[in-house]
Amino acid sequence: MSEEKPFNSRESYKPGLVFQPAAQQNIGRGIDKLVAAIRPTLGPTPRTVAVTRLDDARKTPDVLDNGGVIARKVIELGAREEDIGAMLARALICKQHDTMGDGSATAAVLLQAIYQGGAHYLAAGGNAMRLRHHLERALAQALAELDEMTAPVAGKASLAQVAEAICHDPPLSDLLGEIFDIIGSYGQLDIRKDHSRALRREYIEGMSWNSGLVSREMIVDQKELQTVYEEPAIVIADFQINDPRHIMPMLELAVDHKIEKLLLIAGEISGDAIAGLTMANGKLKNFQVMAVRSPGQNPDARQAAIADLAVLTGGQPLLSVAGDSLKDIKPANIGRARRAWASTHNFGIIGGKGDPRRLRRHVSNLQAQYQRSDDKAHRDGLQARIGKLMGGSATLWIGGLSQTEIDRRKELAEATADAMRAAVKDGVLPGGGMALADCRQRLAPMLANGADADERAAFRILHEALLEPARAIYENAGYEAGEVLARLAHAPHQRSFDVVSGEMVERSQLLDGAAIQKSALRNAVLTAGLALTIDVLVHHRTPEIARSPG
Amino acid sequence: MTRASITLEFETAADTVYALAADDSGNCCFAACSGGLFRSADAGASWQRLSPSSETVTTAVALSPAFESDRSVFAAVKGGILRSSDAGDSWRAAAFPAPPPLFSCLAVSPDFERDGVLLAGALEDGVFASADRGLRWQPWNFGLFDLNVLCLALSPHWQADETVYAGAETGLYRSGNGGRAWRFTGFPTEFAPVLSLAVAADPASGETLLVAGSEARGLQASSNQGESWQALALDAAVNQLQVKCAGDGGFELYALVDDGVVYSGDSGKSWRVFQRTEALPTAMLLLDDAMLLGLHGHGIMRLPLA
Repeated sequence: MSEEKPFNSRESYKPGLVFQPAAQQNIGRGIDKLVAAIRPTLGPTPRTVAVTRLDDARKTPDVLDNGGVIARKVIELGAREEDIGAMLARALICKQHDTMGDGSATAAVLLQAIYQGGAHYLAAGGNAMRLRHHLERALAQALAELDEMTAPVAGKASLAQVAEAICHDPPLSDLLGEIFDIIGSYGQLDIRKDHSRALRREYIEGMSWNSGLVSREMIVDQKELQTVYEEPAIVIADFQINDPRHIMPMLELAVDHKIEKLLLIAGEISGDAIAGLTMANGKLKNFQVMAVRSPGQNPDARQAAIADLAVLTGGQPLLSVAGDSLKDIKPANIGRARRAWASTHNFGIIGGKGDPRRLRRHVSNLQAQYQRSDDKAHRDGLQARIGKLMGGSATLWIGGLSQTEIDRRKELAEATADAMRAAVKDGVLPGGGMALADCRQRLAPMLANGADADERAAFRILHEALLEPARAIYENAGYEAGEVLARLAHAPHQRSFDVVSGEMVERSQLLDGAAIQKSALRNAVLTAGLALTIDVLVHHRTPEIARSPG
Repeated sequence: MTRASITLEFETAADTVYALAADDSGNCCFAACSGGLFRSADAGASWQRLSPSSETVTTAVALSPAFESDRSVFAAVKGGILRSSDAGDSWRAAAFPAPPPLFSCLAVSPDFERDGVLLAGALEDGVFASADRGLRWQPWNFGLFDLNVLCLALSPHWQADETVYAGAETGLYRSGNGGRAWRFTGFPTEFAPVLSLAVAADPASGETLLVAGSEARGLQASSNQGESWQALALDAAVNQLQVKCAGDGGFELYALVDDGVVYSGDSGKSWRVFQRTEALPTAMLLLDDAMLLGLHGHGIMRLPLA
């Protein structure tokens, strides 16, 4: 790494163009500096990074061990010429974190190693565009090797083993193994703090949404503060109901069809309309109605929830965009379920009577959307919807001897659950950096047999970089990386070094989510390839502060 | 008794037999009927109505695999499941949440002595499970999109694989964790509903055969846990199935169709009429030396196998 220059804000904001070789050196220094802050967080024994609070530097700093979170908090480096490299690295790390939730430190370490190797080669006269092309070919080979190594994981015992490899907490691992065996990769899992000393889990039947009764007068069971309907009819509308007269056609339809219990889900219901509904409860014989607001915190979420509820219950929703109103209500607008319940904050449906074939197709479509999406927030939303429609959810209650222990274990459980979800979806790979290291054998023949110097260099650069995550893991745990790698070279085949126990173990005992490793490798190679082709840097007088990547 | 005879005669033409079950010896038999629950102590030769379910529609019945020692019987009635630990002399009911479920089938774990697991399929409510010998029941429907469950079949290797299949109105589901969570199998949706299921394992070859009786495409078989299916040469709606190892690596199949029972001795490649009936057969039970057939509106027929 080059010599540090003192930060001079006036100098650093000078506009200008930077050409080679300074451009490449500046990018390299920026990448090196940011990755140096992320690298200590790689592995099961991460070290922490203290970050000054953005709102007030005098407050206690944030002490972090997550590469993605740390990178997001680095909004500029002191020396401006290094910012472009640092921001390229930051964008990669944030993307990895946002899309996969993990693997950002692995991606960072790989990026640094590939860029350094590439920059050395280019300084010696290599062709950047051809190097990038061959790096991407080498990437395809490495990904193919990872695909071959990927093993599916299923069954309570295997899943518990994956959890154990991630969190090193046997009781927690056993419970997470059981939970993921039941809920699968898309299922809904809530992890909550408990007052007890132990861990426990609970499975809840049916689907529930965070939206409650529009009036407490609709609560029938005053002890449980909820209302439960058996065999209810369900009307779903996305619009506001202001005029009490508008509910009359719905009530008439209910009476005509001998509906005894009706759940109305609507965008908003005015006080007058609520009064009309509660009056109907008192006046109509053998008829009860309760109303809840459409769930979802924004229009997209509300629309999604309405679509899900419609498929689940088999009722055609009344939509404002289609010009529907309660005046036009028809029998086809009425959905059914075995049971529905609502409290002041939530409502739920058990045994929706929609067409199971349609429900299955709907869930398949959501799963396909999930697979196609790169946006973590969108994927999280889809996962929550799929999990709901699967028909139940799990809650893991985290107890402990002290509040500190409960907090720590809850964080551990959340991180493990995220990694397990990915593992269930996409399979697992040997952990501890070994899967990436093992890809090197696939690249080895090209080191000597490449058609030209650029091709041989690209394969050599990736070949060397693939060992870097394992090195970082060993060093972060306090081991001398060269020594551990030498021990591994002489150990029986299919062994990994467990930095927690300090022992050689079977590969199957240390596992990583395959999708995370593949994504980290892909993102790192593509970013490094792009960075290596940058020839000129352009600095403006007042650069915008990078508050978000990309 | 040497020829077919009606051993339990119904009083009305609307009466029907929903299910038949017997202990390992085949002597103690139970019949779940629209007119109540019946018991036979002589392999179906004579029947006695059991009092607790008198006049109560009983839709399913199942016995503990260790019935000879624990005397446990389970019977499904509307809204509840009855359990008896004295071979049906006295009963206790387990409560279910309203609205009352209508049970279509009951299945007892082959490892019941150890795990105490029972599963019950219901129309509109999916699958309920009990892990305490029928005392308390919980809905286990995670991933089961179709809650109209018509039949259940447990893997012969249940102790090891905890695999159970559920035939439903729109397809076939499999659970690899004892019914806690379900995944749709490769059973073609257009063949549904799945009316009947049977699983058998050949101890010699280790091969497991899963057979599903569909309404639209007759009998289908799978040897890979339902992932892929091939049609067996029986294109009729099969309401009930029994499969047993033929001893030569193949399987014998008995299938209850609308006009009687058909038999295949070669794993379903060819079929012959085993017993034709004038009345609609609704339930079948294979004993060592006889077959019991429930006939809609008539009663229970006993057929000597010899």
